[in-house]
Amino acid sequence: MAIIGNPKYEERIKSHLAKYETKRSAVMPLLYIAQEEYGWVNPDGISEVAEILNLDPTQVKSIAGFYTMYSEKPKGKYWLQVCTDLPCALQGADDFHAWLKDELGVEEGGTTKDEMFTVEHVMCLAACDKAPMLQCNFRYVENLDQDKMRGLLAKWRAEAANGRG
Amino acid sequence: MSDTVIINVDGNDYEVAAGSNLVDAAKWHAGNDIPVFCYHPKMEPVGMCRMCLVELGTPARDRATGEAMLNDDGSPQIRYFPKLQTACTTTVSDGMHIKTNTQEVIDARNDVLEFLLSSHPLDCPICDKGGECPLQNLTMRHGPQSSRMYFEDKQLLEKHYPLGDLIFLDRERCIQCARCVRFQDEVVGDDVLAFHERGRRLQIITNSDPGFDTYFSGNTTDICPVGALTTTDFRFGARPWELNEVPSISPWDATGENISLSMRLDRDFGGKALIKRVMPRQNERVNEIWISDKTRFGHHFTRSEDRLTQPMMRSGGVLRESNWSAVMAAMAGLLKDADGDIAAIAGSSMTNEDLWELRQLVEGLGGSRLGAWIPSHGGAEIVAEVGVGFGTNLGQLGRGDAILVIASDLEEEAPIWRLRLKQAQDRGAYLVVANARHTRLEDFAIQGARNDKVVEGDAIRYGAGEAVLIMRNLSADQPEIAERLSEAENLVIVAGAEGLTLSGGKALAQAAANFLIETGHIGRRNNGLLIPLPGANGMGLHYLGFTPDTTLDIMTNPPQVLIVAQAELLDDDPAARAWLSGVETIVYANFFDDGISALANYILPIQTFAERDGSFVNGERRVQRFYTAQGPIGQSLPAWKLFGGARQALGAGALQPSAAAVMRDLSADISEFEGISYKALAQVKREFPDVGGRDQYYGGTAYTNTGGLGIQIPCVSDTRKGRRTRQLERFDQPGAGEDEVLIMPVTRLYNRQRNFRPSLMLEPRVLTPYAIVNSDDAAALGISDGDIVEIRAGESNVRVQAALSDEIAAGAVALPRHLTEEAIPLTITAGSVSKVAEAVAAAT
Amino acid sequence: MHILLRGRDIDNIKQLDVYERHGGFAGMKKALAMTPAEVINVVKASGLRGRGGAGFPTGVKWSFIPQHEPVKFVTVNADESETGTFKDREIMEENPYQLIEGSLICAYAIQAKAVYIYLRGEFWDIGDQLDECIEALRAKGYIGANIMGSGYDCEVYTHLGAGAYICGEESALLNSLEGYLGQPRVRPPFPAQKGGGLYKEATVVNNVETLANVPYILNDGADAFKAIGTEQSAGNKIYCVSGHVKRPGNYELPMGTTFRELLYEHAGGPLHEERKFKAMLPSGGSGPIVPLTDEVLDTPMSYEDCANIGTIIGSASIIVMDETVDMTWVASKVTKFFKHESCGKCTPCREGTYWLDKVIDRILDGRGSPDDVTRIADVAENMAGTTLCALGDFAANPIIHTIRHFPDDFAQHVSAQGADG
Ligand SMILES: Cc1cc2nc3c(=O)[nH]c(=O)nc-3n(C[C@H](O)[C@H](O)[C@H](O)COP(=O)(O)O)c2cc1C
Ligand code: SF4
Ligand code: FES
Repeated sequence: MAIIGNPKYEERIKSHLAKYETKRSAVMPLLYIAQEEYGWVNPDGISEVAEILNLDPTQVKSIAGFYTMYSEKPKGKYWLQVCTDLPCALQGADDFHAWLKDELGVEEGGTTKDEMFTVEHVMCLAACDKAPMLQCNFRYVENLDQDKMRGLLAKWRAEAANGRG
Repeated sequence: MSDTVIINVDGNDYEVAAGSNLVDAAKWHAGNDIPVFCYHPKMEPVGMCRMCLVELGTPARDRATGEAMLNDDGSPQIRYFPKLQTACTTTVSDGMHIKTNTQEVIDARNDVLEFLLSSHPLDCPICDKGGECPLQNLTMRHGPQSSRMYFEDKQLLEKHYPLGDLIFLDRERCIQCARCVRFQDEVVGDDVLAFHERGRRLQIITNSDPGFDTYFSGNTTDICPVGALTTTDFRFGARPWELNEVPSISPWDATGENISLSMRLDRDFGGKALIKRVMPRQNERVNEIWISDKTRFGHHFTRSEDRLTQPMMRSGGVLRESNWSAVMAAMAGLLKDADGDIAAIAGSSMTNEDLWELRQLVEGLGGSRLGAWIPSHGGAEIVAEVGVGFGTNLGQLGRGDAILVIASDLEEEAPIWRLRLKQAQDRGAYLVVANARHTRLEDFAIQGARNDKVVEGDAIRYGAGEAVLIMRNLSADQPEIAERLSEAENLVIVAGAEGLTLSGGKALAQAAANFLIETGHIGRRNNGLLIPLPGANGMGLHYLGFTPDTTLDIMTNPPQVLIVAQAELLDDDPAARAWLSGVETIVYANFFDDGISALANYILPIQTFAERDGSFVNGERRVQRFYTAQGPIGQSLPAWKLFGGARQALGAGALQPSAAAVMRDLSADISEFEGISYKALAQVKREFPDVGGRDQYYGGTAYTNTGGLGIQIPCVSDTRKGRRTRQLERFDQPGAGEDEVLIMPVTRLYNRQRNFRPSLMLEPRVLTPYAIVNSDDAAALGISDGDIVEIRAGESNVRVQAALSDEIAAGAVALPRHLTEEAIPLTITAGSVSKVAEAVAAAT
Repeated sequence: MHILLRGRDIDNIKQLDVYERHGGFAGMKKALAMTPAEVINVVKASGLRGRGGAGFPTGVKWSFIPQHEPVKFVTVNADESETGTFKDREIMEENPYQLIEGSLICAYAIQAKAVYIYLRGEFWDIGDQLDECIEALRAKGYIGANIMGSGYDCEVYTHLGAGAYICGEESALLNSLEGYLGQPRVRPPFPAQKGGGLYKEATVVNNVETLANVPYILNDGADAFKAIGTEQSAGNKIYCVSGHVKRPGNYELPMGTTFRELLYEHAGGPLHEERKFKAMLPSGGSGPIVPLTDEVLDTPMSYEDCANIGTIIGSASIIVMDETVDMTWVASKVTKFFKHESCGKCTPCREGTYWLDKVIDRILDGRGSPDDVTRIADVAENMAGTTLCALGDFAANPIIHTIRHFPDDFAQHVSAQGADG
């Protein structure tokens, strides 16, 4: 696994570098690519991004640490981020979040033993009229309830078993 | 626009420099110490800590007419900002009013301190910074009476996090002021520190490999406003109030960093004073408030167990310990017998006073040959003619100015010059780096090498040994660069000797001088020639008549008696053993025995810079004095006293009572030193920025200069106007035969020299012996990266690891000096490189 | 009538040909026929004010850009991270071309070299869709060299953030876009000044909704826009309603509509008929909370009228809470948000949010004392006005105003001794 020299990313990296006035500006899109490749922003990803951008790895690590959407630890295959901010909470998001952790048997921020799901709560995702909601690997799933969620968990498990997802 | 503006601080008007920072102006002109944590006068303001909040107002203007609005009494109406403003991010403007003593300001300071203390561990009693801590001091002055934060709610964080080999971070104490981060980024240009995470979890990290590993890292511990950063050297070493500060000068290189030796009586040292730490002492023209890590941490040789402690003399073929009176008596007879066939070789970190007495001794005996060691860097006499102009301050170079650095690796040879010149470039100066290989400074001269920074700079890569040709033909071969250099308002050329012979080095200096002369860049402040001569007193050697040419002469025609003073001939010169065997009597005075005891007749212990006083002349020709800090080791003497004593024993004059008195003799005789006395050298005046003192929070713990700012010797072109272009020296253009390469000895700051080795904490950072080989050359020779190669050149034969590089001219091999036990060539030499073993994992 | 949420009126307006058929790029065409200064004057005359929260007059902001600077930029603030805000999302999802057209008109007016749309990281799909739109526009000559034959060149790019509310603050946004930590910068210099903007060049930063208004203003004229809304608050505004109402969602209504009309007529009144409205956060977590009294309900939603009731309209993210809600819990929720989002750069916000959160937790747990309530009010006051950016002020608001308006909600949690004395 690598980003540098990986044909899968070549075009994307090039187009990101072309967008900005400085190489450094591409650090955020490139960190997303590193995360995509390794599942999280791991030390290899940091050094590769640093190399591409001619930055000190400390600078790249610093950026990765500031933003919550870069994970500096491995996550489950499905990274579930439940919005429990005020508007969602007024619609029962706290209960939904607690239920989901129970359902999967994990603590806040924890990952299921099969490394399938990581659950954590996040701040407002601009979907306050569609609570409860969550984002799964950065894709929104809205207007949830327990039944709907059970169905989704089953669907994702099946997808993973089929090697998709 | 006028140069000054009037600002009003707490009701009084002050005239201050236009464009200055409000915190600086209030302190300098109004004596008003606005408290700061994040602001530092040497770095860009960031307005983070919010400690410097003041009430700020500016003259009100009528919107329609733009006229100033007046009060009934005719005074201008002042419109205050509704919120408090950070003084540190404010530039003064005419008519600006600030209030620093209102209840609102007092409360704001109190609140910010309360916020900071809410997370602080309050472990002052065990903190290295206790006693000189800005947070502690400001809390006493402006802080809350007690904390309203529940102690059990405080975050627990790592207390001993190593950022590198030398610096530890205490994450609980850190107040996130970013001074260390900004120092590395702005001042050093090595952004290896950064913040990680955010909010209250924000913390300093390094993710570089190696970690926090620059030559300047120790400075962060000075500017850290709390005890979050500490050095491996001093951690838990002593409490600041137990320390006695002694002004001194770095003994290492031509920059002449002003330092302060923090002394304490130490039980482990027989109850005597020893150096607990080395701190910077402000001298804005020399080192500002920075020192290199070598200067800070490299002091341990002063108390090394390996120091020579007893005079020894050979009798009956055996070296025996003796005492000074016996030695002096025996030596007197022997020196007389030489009948004038006596010469001396002096090392480049001997003081002026030592050199003066040594010269008196030799000349008194009818000798005349005074050699300078090491005989590889020439050009001191050219610096004396067209060196940087009187009053030069590298800290003033900036937009419109230019700098050329040729044949030198400044980061390794004179770190503070590299620091200051890089900053000159940040201020807009045009920086050109020319060398046969890549050096660190080149990174700053190349566009976008790091961080997309748009820089004013260029790099010139030339073939091995071709520096002189490049300099001579600059206008023809590099017209664009030459033109920018010529047209610069101010131009400083730094000419080294890397990849040259002694005559080549002198020719390069002369070619650089000619360029300066032709383009009108001499005899003026901030213009002229600099040479990173080795040692702390390369220019002193010149002024006192010790030359490298004489050394070469001594090497070819050995005298009957040779005095070797503070010079490690065997460590430095692969040929020394051979030519020394032609000398009948060797008198050796030094701190350590470099193995010469096998050959020498007298081994005489002398004192280091820590044990005596003296003076050096730095590369900018500034004479600076240092003071006695610790007691002598064993029976060692200051070298001047040794030579003066010998002279007295010969009946050729009386021993002077003090170094100050020696300086009196010296300055009466040597015209360049006219008017220089210890008293004059001790003079100080208030410097901007006003660091040290009561309010250490402002500049950090760099000390105010109380020991003297020194006196610069004018160069010839400063005083004698009218142009003088001298003929270029003849010189040997180095060349290699078929199947040969040119071996370029290069300098590494951290090495295995005898006076460096005892500073054990730096040892892990000394590199495994290596040589940089051009990649194409290596391919032709079947050498891979990391292979062990044998390098033969002249008398020298060493085995080192090959480090392949595209960034070195073909046909050149850079071979760092003093990494191997065996001596390597003094100057560039034709030689061979061949593989002897496959790559092994690097030892580091 | 929708000016912004036209996706609700016109099917498939997110297809370029449909957008064009419904007046798309007519405003741009008109703009290109004018001088840049004329375009700025039209926007000035319209009375359009920034929809990102502060309500700064948009045309005036554009006029700050020094015309002689060779390089200038437009940055679209699509970071939309304020609690309870989801309006920019709907504009970009359903009517993306209108935003891009508005951005291009702005770019032309200040002669910018490029437009960067800074999206919050979670708007991944929206970013993809905008990228497709940009390609479609480039293919038709609306973006790139010599736009619509005018001789003006401009590029448009998207950039994804990665989960940081502070990057909605304009100077933090610029740092983030440059690849630095998303922490606010010291001002001056302001973004519109040389040295203060993107890559140190003069830059306009505008909110999505602000720019989405611009095609209409150019097309229908400043007067048409000014005719909508109130004297000082012209045009329509999208109100994001969430919390305890029947029909949460976006409502595009003229500025000056009353809260009552919005909450009862449009949002359907209380979610649970039997419960009364208790309080409202009219500008997400960052603006002062107000009790939902009749006086408040009858207040017109405009910049000037909201000031009269001690709050702000801000980004108009209206979070409604009924009588069952404990305001101490609300204060805690909002404080946790700001503690999580504090960038850490300046002392009062970094330490203050951490401290406030700890003490409110104590209070909610029943371990607090009445002193703790005064203490957090005091700490919040100390934060306000001393921080580097407005986030610190925002973070002080929920504490100060919940305690001010709902002291009983706090009192019920604390006993005189506190739990541990
Ligand atoms: C902490 C903080 C967060 C902000 N978040 C946003 C945001 O998400 N979107 C936005 O448009 N403006 C936000 N702003 C306001 C911007 O700084 C800026 O004023 C705005 O983008 C200007 O655009 P406008 O004039 O079109 O309103 C925020 C301000 C602060 C202090
Ligand atoms: S107020 Fe908060 S978010 Fe704004 S600069 Fe200060 S720490 Fe950062
Ligand atoms: S904010 Fe001015 S000194 Fe820190």
